[in-house]
Amino acid sequence: MKRTPLYNIHMESSGRMVDFAGFAMPVFYTSIIEEHMIIRSSAGLFDVSHMGEITVKGDSAALFLSRLIPTSMSKLEPGKGMYTLFCFENGGVIDDLFIFMINEKSYYLVVNASTVDKDFAWMQNHIIPGVEIENISDSTAKIDIQGPKSAMVLNKIFDKKKIDNLKRFHFYFDDFTGTEIMISNTGYTGERGYELFIENSKAESLWERLMLEGAEYGIKPAGLGARDTLRLEACYSLYGHEINEQINPLEANLGWLINSDKEYIGRSVLENLKKNGSEYEQFCLELTGRGVLHEGYKVLHNGEEIGCITSGIYSPLFKKGLALIRVKRGVLSIGDKAEVQIRDKGIEGEIVKRPFYKFNG
Amino acid sequence: MTKEKGMKVPEDLLYTVDHEWIRIGSDNHCECGITDHAQHSLGDIVFVEFVANIVHTVVAQRDPVVIIESPKAASDVYSPVKGTVTTVNRVVEDTPEIINKDPYGDGWLFKIEIADKKQLDSLMKPEEYLKLIKDGK
Repeated sequence: MKRTPLYNIHMESSGRMVDFAGFAMPVFYTSIIEEHMIIRSSAGLFDVSHMGEITVKGDSAALFLSRLIPTSMSKLEPGKGMYTLFCFENGGVIDDLFIFMINEKSYYLVVNASTVDKDFAWMQNHIIPGVEIENISDSTAKIDIQGPKSAMVLNKIFDKKKIDNLKRFHFYFDDFTGTEIMISNTGYTGERGYELFIENSKAESLWERLMLEGAEYGIKPAGLGARDTLRLEACYSLYGHEINEQINPLEANLGWLINSDKEYIGRSVLENLKKNGSEYEQFCLELTGRGVLHEGYKVLHNGEEIGCITSGIYSPLFKKGLALIRVKRGVLSIGDKAEVQIRDKGIEGEIVKRPFYKFNG
Repeated sequence: MTKEKGMKVPEDLLYTVDHEWIRIGSDNHCECGITDHAQHSLGDIVFVEFVANIVHTVVAQRDPVVIIESPKAASDVYSPVKGTVTTVNRVVEDTPEIINKDPYGDGWLFKIEIADKKQLDSLMKPEEYLKLIKDGK
């Protein structure tokens, strides 16, 4: 199994390690619930160095990217990032990703750990003259600091003015003990937070410094378990669950990403789906009966199976079962009751407005 | 009390490979639960559900008696021995975190009247269970 540069720190912090996308990653250190709640109330740290980073450089960089994504890049500017997708010609999702625009000729892509090789191969297959791409995942560490107090922690280490003025989805480059660091106001938790990108050799010293400066706020390391419960409360998709090669963006409530007027792969299929609707759609379900929801559980309406859970959690914040469900389009509306089949029993749930937890920035 | 990797393994109990414990009482009445190692591995226990109508039911060794869930996984807890389930701990249904806090005390799960005491020979002694968790099973 591969290790991130923070592996030794995870072991020293009693991280409960699991295999995630071929990496030994902490699922939690002390408790998913505690780690979840510290991020909702103060600040927490994630090691997400397993994620992929790909640079795209050259005169044709923007043209190249615009052919791979369904989202318009017109609102992108130097120092700003955007969320988007790579899709196949048939609309199936190859990956979801973030594109940070450094300048007109240089972009920085952040992709999922399990898909980085597939993404890079897909990009190579569609390369055009005037573009160079590089997979820098193995030399890049990524630490996310998330939570309402995260800016206060960063202010003690980095340029306070830059941090305070950094708008959501924007990023800048700073210096950490002589090494360049990229800091973006982004995250995957529903809280204000930042994602920090730095070369592997500085990962441990950066982590330790963040823990030190965050001590007065009760900062804690958080594992992939809390990352999952936080993102689900905020209704963010997770690749391999809400979206995959067989599920198109419309089925995961990601139709808003389809708005490019450029010629891109999958355009005709995706535009047609956006216009006419997909076979399935996504809803948020809150369990009213007792139980814990997990991926794959069947969802029934008036006794008829209409779909299944794509991600389910026991919400540490709301203290109940929550799930994103993929169901046949047109059957359910907000406020409807639906049943989830948990083992041999049908447990009642309610379709609620998204998101479960509104972004708290 | 012996500890391995910080996990408590009381010396007056017997254990299973599935990380249940059993405390032998008088008149073949025994108390059962999950071990400190098991609760630690699962993390926060957020939900407990006993098998329907389990009280006064005869269960075989390794029959499921209760399902416990952490945010990441559901696990069956099996009966360590054949016998009649006499009582279940309803308190843990409302406050499952007790199992994390006190797995050998207030976090007990069910009581069973053992059918044949000889079956206890098939269970693990504390030192054997210590070895099991030491070997990382």
